[in-house]
Amino acid sequence: MMPTQIILLKEGTDSSQGVPQLVSNINACQVIAEAVRTTLGPRGMDKLMVDNRGKATISNDGATILKLLDVVHPAAKTLVDIAKSQDAEVGDGTTSVTLLAAEFLKQVKPYVEEGLHPQTIIRSSTATQLAVKKINEIAVSVKKGDKDEQKSLLVKCASTALNSKLIAVQKEFFSMMVVDAVMMLDDLLPLKMIGMKKVQGGALEDSQLVAGVAFKKTFSYAGFEMQPKKYENPKIALLNVELELKAEKENAEVRVKSVEDYQAIVDAEWNILYDKLEKIYKSGAKVVLSKLPIGDVATQFFADRDLFCAGRVQEEDLKRTMMACGGSIQTSVGSLTDDVLGQCALFEEVQVGGERYNFFKGCPKAKTCTIILRGGAEQFMEETERSLHDAIMIVRRAIKNDSVVAGGGAIEMELSKYLRDYSRTIPGKQQLLIGAYAKALEIIPRQLCDNAGFDATNILNKLRAKHAQAGMWYGVDVNNEDIADNYIACVWEPSIVRINALTAASEAACLILSVDETIKNPRSTVDGPPGGQGRGRGRPHAH
Amino acid sequence: MALHVPKAPGFAQMLKDGAKHYSGLEEAVFRNIQACKELAQTTRTAYGPNGMNKMVINHLEKLFVTNDAATILRELEVQHPAARMIVMASHMQEQEVGDGTNFVLVFAGALLELAEELLRMGLSVSEVIEGYEMACKKALEILPDCVCSSAKNLSDVEEASSLIRTAVMSKQYGNEDFLSKLIAQACVSIFPESGNFNVDGVRVCKIVGSGLTASSVLHGMVFKRETEGDITSIKDAKIAVFSCPFDCMVTETKGTVLIKNAEELMSFSRGEENMMESQVKAIADAGATVVVTGGKVADMALHYANKYQLMVVRMNSKWDLRRLCKTVGAVALPRLTPPTPEEMGHCDSVYLTEVGDTQVVVFKHEKEEGAISTLVIRGSTNNLMDDIERAVDDGVNTFKVLVRDKRLLPGAGATEIELAKHITSYGESCPGLEQYAIKKFAEAFEAIPRALAENSGVKGNELISKLYAVHQEGNKNIGFDIEGEGAAVKDMLEAGILDPYLVKHWGIKLATNSAVTVLRVDQIIMAKPAGGPKAPKQQGHWDKDSWEDEPDKFDSHY
Repeated sequence: MMPTQIILLKEGTDSSQGVPQLVSNINACQVIAEAVRTTLGPRGMDKLMVDNRGKATISNDGATILKLLDVVHPAAKTLVDIAKSQDAEVGDGTTSVTLLAAEFLKQVKPYVEEGLHPQTIIRSSTATQLAVKKINEIAVSVKKGDKDEQKSLLVKCASTALNSKLIAVQKEFFSMMVVDAVMMLDDLLPLKMIGMKKVQGGALEDSQLVAGVAFKKTFSYAGFEMQPKKYENPKIALLNVELELKAEKENAEVRVKSVEDYQAIVDAEWNILYDKLEKIYKSGAKVVLSKLPIGDVATQFFADRDLFCAGRVQEEDLKRTMMACGGSIQTSVGSLTDDVLGQCALFEEVQVGGERYNFFKGCPKAKTCTIILRGGAEQFMEETERSLHDAIMIVRRAIKNDSVVAGGGAIEMELSKYLRDYSRTIPGKQQLLIGAYAKALEIIPRQLCDNAGFDATNILNKLRAKHAQAGMWYGVDVNNEDIADNYIACVWEPSIVRINALTAASEAACLILSVDETIKNPRSTVDGPPGGQGRGRGRPHAH
Repeated sequence: MALHVPKAPGFAQMLKDGAKHYSGLEEAVFRNIQACKELAQTTRTAYGPNGMNKMVINHLEKLFVTNDAATILRELEVQHPAARMIVMASHMQEQEVGDGTNFVLVFAGALLELAEELLRMGLSVSEVIEGYEMACKKALEILPDCVCSSAKNLSDVEEASSLIRTAVMSKQYGNEDFLSKLIAQACVSIFPESGNFNVDGVRVCKIVGSGLTASSVLHGMVFKRETEGDITSIKDAKIAVFSCPFDCMVTETKGTVLIKNAEELMSFSRGEENMMESQVKAIADAGATVVVTGGKVADMALHYANKYQLMVVRMNSKWDLRRLCKTVGAVALPRLTPPTPEEMGHCDSVYLTEVGDTQVVVFKHEKEEGAISTLVIRGSTNNLMDDIERAVDDGVNTFKVLVRDKRLLPGAGATEIELAKHITSYGESCPGLEQYAIKKFAEAFEAIPRALAENSGVKGNELISKLYAVHQEGNKNIGFDIEGEGAAVKDMLEAGILDPYLVKHWGIKLATNSAVTVLRVDQIIMAKPAGGPKAPKQQGHWDKDSWEDEPDKFDSHY
């Protein structure tokens, strides 16, 4: 008799283990890196992705691409996670981090296959700490005191970030814009305080930075046309009040005995509304913004009295208006005193492309700003927005940590040289592994060359030679198919971007290396309450 | 009359169709042993600092990367009844001491494997059991003699961190020094004079981004939330905690407001506004500067809170609310009433800050007071941070165990070899057949250093013979040197690799018990699983902070 098999785990549980498992995980990561590899650098290409609903996205941002790829392989997911982490922490360098992690794995793969214990390899991640220490040592810090100097540093960082993006041609224009925008914010540098609006049409250069707030004209009722569209030094009321005829309370009930009483109730409702409007008018506000709808009665009332109003303003926009113009958002009109009203130098409604926009300019606090993007296709503008987001994040980081390193593969080459030299001084297996780590770092300049169509081997040889001769900041020069001192060429990046990329990549690589077994439980069908069928109920019940 | 279908004679006759029935040595005992062995095989490679991680994808498609045996087993959903028993033993270990779960599994697996040999040799099950039990008793008697040192002053961060280090090492090898220091700081800061240590006092807040080395510990609590109102930072805060929504009271009974005439309608909404204002004002007048609420925050209430300069923080989890009360020393009020000075908590600073791109609200004590400290864990992936959290758990539990019993044993297989040595000689002094079982029990201890060695790529036999040799010379603290080349050994007391006494004590006890229980079974009867809908399973731990379950907010490109 055949002995029946012992069922230890649930049926359908899939398990695989050992070195082949490890190698297959590494391979999966290579595939992921392959997808974003060609997007790196100024000559990187963009990817067009179409999701399952047919929405097309064009991007060159590693995190965006990986997110849209919808990876299911458990090990490969780790790479997606680090790209996200990089995005969260510094906002840029998401492609680099993925590439680095994949390259670390690729370099140690032969050792794994030869049977070197993965934990030994993991221990070589001390190389990361050394590299980070080295970055901190050689990073150039710029004094914060000098405003102009700081600004020029920031502009350089922003333009390096934008270099690799779709809008690289207009990088000077946009990097100035981004730096100006970030400089306007307060010390916390809240990202939310930079509004980004997209208006189709026009050229990229028509994009503008508004030192204040701008938002699209909201839905309006009849009477709106009669309102003035331009004020100088208006007071602004920010409300969270519905200015419309409505029930005061949902669970209230009116019982009347006579027709007169009924009429009185109707009048009272009108009076409540007029009372609110009167209070707003009395407060001296010229511009009324509300998160909730402003009805046609109110619109006409304001039009008669030379006021401007906009209802259903997005909460973000309202908050930013508050930050810019002062005052505070009021949930009742009971206490509209002067100190809760905002103020700005100029309010106007302006035509931007095919849209009407409300502008608030010359705000006293002005801790916020708005970028209005113009451009052709929708996807193009979306990508522009993402690129600017990356640049803004970089500038924010650069303000917080004012040390920079040279980009374009320079810092990687320097670290690679440093680690290679270091590895020669230690005995044992670690020598090989740190050597492998050093080699893996070269992927960044190599990929930059590959993407630009250069002979990577040649350029890398030149770079190695230069770095050996203490040419610390030499990196790839994509414009001249050569190498150049990227510090002088002003290809700068905040050092925090590189530090985070290295830490995240090596953490991810270690995580993947430390796994030797995957056990997959069958997906439990989330069975909801048993369906109504088969229970004798003949008809489907409507919900 | 239906035709009677005769069933096979024997036991099956009495059971319903579809029931399974196994009995006897061959069918039941060996099968059970086989299953347990297989299970132990999976976790054995995860044992020790050089143990490998497992990637476990549970039935909800959530990915775990860990070498924590308790987690692996929990997510595996072991089905075999006998294997479940040793899983249960490992759960008991987790509840009892919080660490050493893998020890239980590996040891129980080894015991059963050797029991199989004995049974095949012709010993009866009861003799094996008797021998194991005697040996276990003896082992626990000898164990106190193996104690090599004890913790002196747990309030000392340096010492505490060196003791936690061993536990953390087996989870996060390479980062143990950094992590154990953090954990020790967190534990010591909330360790009261009275000596009552509460594991719940150390919280973990995971924020994606940066690297592990950016993790930090702070006194007080951290919540991954934003503040509700405009005020984002308050120093020397007086905190009023409400477990109810920050809103006007609503009636439970359904009712409508009856309005009889126009005046009533006019004054109605005004009245509501005034009431809200007076309520918020009363809270502000009572001296509170921060309002923490367990429910919704109404727009109107927020409006007045802004007006009276109150910072409003909303908390989703009742547990969080309770812990916060504990930290700041507040009483949670069930109604929106002004708090008395005793009911209000105090905190040196409450502020909103950005870590990575996550907004967090921090309740921070400057001085070392309060009952809760928080470890802010940074890491590049969620899986990594989950694993670090488990390492922190183990570290904190080790601290707890040490508070209960300060004795320490040498780690890295030293204790096991010493026990094996003594039990073998004890076995030889026993006259009966159980002698064989006792000797096998001693042999089972070898599984621990063997697993350590094999996970590090060292030949197990070579190491064990070496260890026996040095122990025979009386060096009872010598264990496996994981950093050395090949089968190196060194003194664990000097290396500072020490395990708490209780971990080993319970580990041996529970593993033996579960192995004996598995051996005692000689019949398996499985009823046919009933069809129909399955009862909904309770998901997650009851004490799960709700924000942890929130989906990742990755849309930073607004």
